[in-house]
Amino acid sequence: MSSPFDQMIVGSDGELAEEAQLSLLETLDHVLNRGLVIAGEITIAVADVDLIFVGLNVMVSSVETAQEVLRNRERNAVKALTPPESQ
Amino acid sequence: MSTGELKKSKESSNSPSGSYGYYVYCICEKLPAEKLTHEPLPAAIDEKAKLEVIMREDLAGIVSAVPLSVFGEDALQERLTDAAWTAVKAMRHEQVVEHFAKQTSVVPLRFGTIYLERSGIEEMLDEKREQLSATLKRLQGHEEWGVNVYSDRDALLENITTVSPRLREMSEAAQKAPPGQSYLLQKKIDALRTDEVKVEVVRIADEIEKSLHDRSDGSVKLKILKVETTEHGELKAKFAFLVNKEKFAAFRDGAEELARRFEDSGIKIELTGPWPAYNFATL
Repeated sequence: MSSPFDQMIVGSDGELAEEAQLSLLETLDHVLNRGLVIAGEITIAVADVDLIFVGLNVMVSSVETAQEVLRNRERNAVKALTPPESQ
Repeated sequence: MSTGELKKSKESSNSPSGSYGYYVYCICEKLPAEKLTHEPLPAAIDEKAKLEVIMREDLAGIVSAVPLSVFGEDALQERLTDAAWTAVKAMRHEQVVEHFAKQTSVVPLRFGTIYLERSGIEEMLDEKREQLSATLKRLQGHEEWGVNVYSDRDALLENITTVSPRLREMSEAAQKAPPGQSYLLQKKIDALRTDEVKVEVVRIADEIEKSLHDRSDGSVKLKILKVETTEHGELKAKFAFLVNKEKFAAFRDGAEELARRFEDSGIKIELTGPWPAYNFATL
């Protein structure tokens, strides 16, 4: 039986946009909301990632760097989630 | 390379004092950091600068110079309203942290930690050395995995009489009961459906958390963002798990088992990662 996660992580072409958005959102959530807070001289509090995400929806495809990073992430995820026997 | 004072980079020493700050991405141990800087490095958050390593004793801070005209407190708060700009910068932060996290344990800092002087970072590394070292040791060989629990409300509502133990019992009783009583029981079941959907989602999410917690070295329940409704359904719960890399196969098997078990109830589980240990890098 194939992994129930394969489809969610890899996706068909039609689902990639959705996946990319989700990964971007996950990444933003990690980078902006999590991580250790050390008192630097300047520490920015991002109050609301939701707010940052407003209007970002379709823009993802035009943000080149974001795409590049997402491709890397996808590769890692696929590697990690593909069971050896099904390769 | 000397462990104490490093030469200032050309960029920062040539610029007028006060116009540059230092953005800190993450902290790791000195030796792996030194090794990893010999590999091609990802872009810094400000593309004109290069990544630098600030070393103090056995610790290393991964930093790069940022112009305060963009990364000063007010300027940065202003820039953050530009979603595309923020997305690119956040991605660069992530890429830098991942570059180091793929080979060694790191303490990822939250976006936007900026020092005005290198000496500020050196002092911070000195002051927090013991705690940082302990955290790095605790995170060694681990990575973070995210688990999102989605519910397809319609599917769950339709199957609730088999999913909910309480309704299952009632509907079995209704089948055996004489017609009049059966009708009343059925009405009672229908009235309880919506409430039971809520109860079951919470129960299933708890079960997923407990079950995966046992296969991990730590778990955190996360806040759900407003925007997270996808084709998988409505996001009902979100967790982060700290997983030993060598035990990841068992963790994934556990998640897959849960995904299959709850599939018919309209519950979907999504696994994301591996992430640097953002949710577990506490001092």
